[in-house]
Amino acid sequence: MDSGRRQRGGLEQEVIAVLAADGSAMTPGQVRAALGAELAYTTVMTVLARLCDKGVVTRRRAGRAFAYQAVVDEDEITARQMRRLLDARDDRAAVLTRFVGTLSADDERLLADLLRHTEQAGDRDDVR
Amino acid sequence: MSVAVAVTLAVSLLFAATAPTLGRRLPPAPATRVLVVGSLTVTASEIFVLAVVAFTWVGQLPDIAALGPWSTVALRRADPIPESAAVGAALLLSWWIVRRCRALLAVQRSCRHLPHTDSLVVVDTDRLDVFTTPDRRGRIVVTTGLLRALAPAERRVVLAHETSHRDHRHPWWLLAAELAAAVNPLFTRTARTVAHTVERWADEDAATAVTDRRLAARTLARTALLMHQRSTRAPEGALGVLTADVPTRVQALLAPPPRRQPAVVGLLVTLALTCIFGAAAVQRSGERLFEHASTPTYTVKG
Repeated sequence: MDSGRRQRGGLEQEVIAVLAADGSAMTPGQVRAALGAELAYTTVMTVLARLCDKGVVTRRRAGRAFAYQAVVDEDEITARQMRRLLDARDDRAAVLTRFVGTLSADDERLLADLLRHTEQAGDRDDVR
Repeated sequence: MSVAVAVTLAVSLLFAATAPTLGRRLPPAPATRVLVVGSLTVTASEIFVLAVVAFTWVGQLPDIAALGPWSTVALRRADPIPESAAVGAALLLSWWIVRRCRALLAVQRSCRHLPHTDSLVVVDTDRLDVFTTPDRRGRIVVTTGLLRALAPAERRVVLAHETSHRDHRHPWWLLAAELAAAVNPLFTRTARTVAHTVERWADEDAATAVTDRRLAARTLARTALLMHQRSTRAPEGALGVLTADVPTRVQALLAPPPRRQPAVVGLLVTLALTCIFGAAAVQRSGERLFEHASTPTYTVKG
């Protein structure tokens, strides 16, 4: 079904996020630990292999296993274009869907209160 | 004719007045759909009605009247639109469309050099940011700064949220809502509501993806605060009105998932349909008016 496909795409994104956030080469075991979810080692391996095929990550031999690293686009044009997107204002910012918009001082206070409240309520709950 | 015009315009006013409030009571996905499709339908009906009415005005111009077998005097009685208002509105609308198209093209250009995979675009910078682009592929762009600031579970929430934006083409729903508002400023509040429901839609999808509403709520609150505290971005200008309000989103995630409300959806759909039927009625009576004006009338001063 559609949701299955999307979840797999979601896992690929999470793996890319883990590798990009770390910056260095990681073994499948390290990636699996950094994902913080209960995933089978083979699942992580499969995703890494697929990302490798797509050319989004590179791998090199590290001992008995492979170590994987996110491909960094060194192209100056891409970097400039991405900076331009991040700096987008007015019309251009209006066509992007951002995770969060700007906060007012009231919003900030209210959010801090809500956060404190949820953290107290969820003290016994581990963040998975 | 004037009854049909009045009914259509009155119902469209009623839709514009009630849609934002009713839309916020619905679950976000149906709310977005019914608000966007509804406001476009109502706006199209309005334009159609005004165009029919305006044609009765255009029909009075000597050059145009010379082409058709109708009497300008008979038409003038049914003419309600001042010319300058119509021209002004058309100019404003064209200006809005030009600006949005330019913005879309600029974003498209920025994404042209990216690799042709549908994977995440990670920008290596300390800034905290994440967004989805409206181009054909719908790119999710995230900074390494944000990825490093979040726990693994929180990353999952943020990525699931943006994936929902991408898969459901949220930027386009929002653009459609803004288009309706640009044509008819009465829909500005509706467009603002759609900006909110679209974010809520992605929030609900993210909560479902991680199967933990409180985690989604906490991530949203924490990320918003982090981005706010570390932001160098100046407050948005006039367009900032379309940024959804974060505390309400967090509170909605802390509450149970919204229930379906078929009655509210039905009401909004009925209002939109009434506008379509009204516009059809205006069209028919507009035709009759021209037929009527084709028969010569004489006014004798008594």
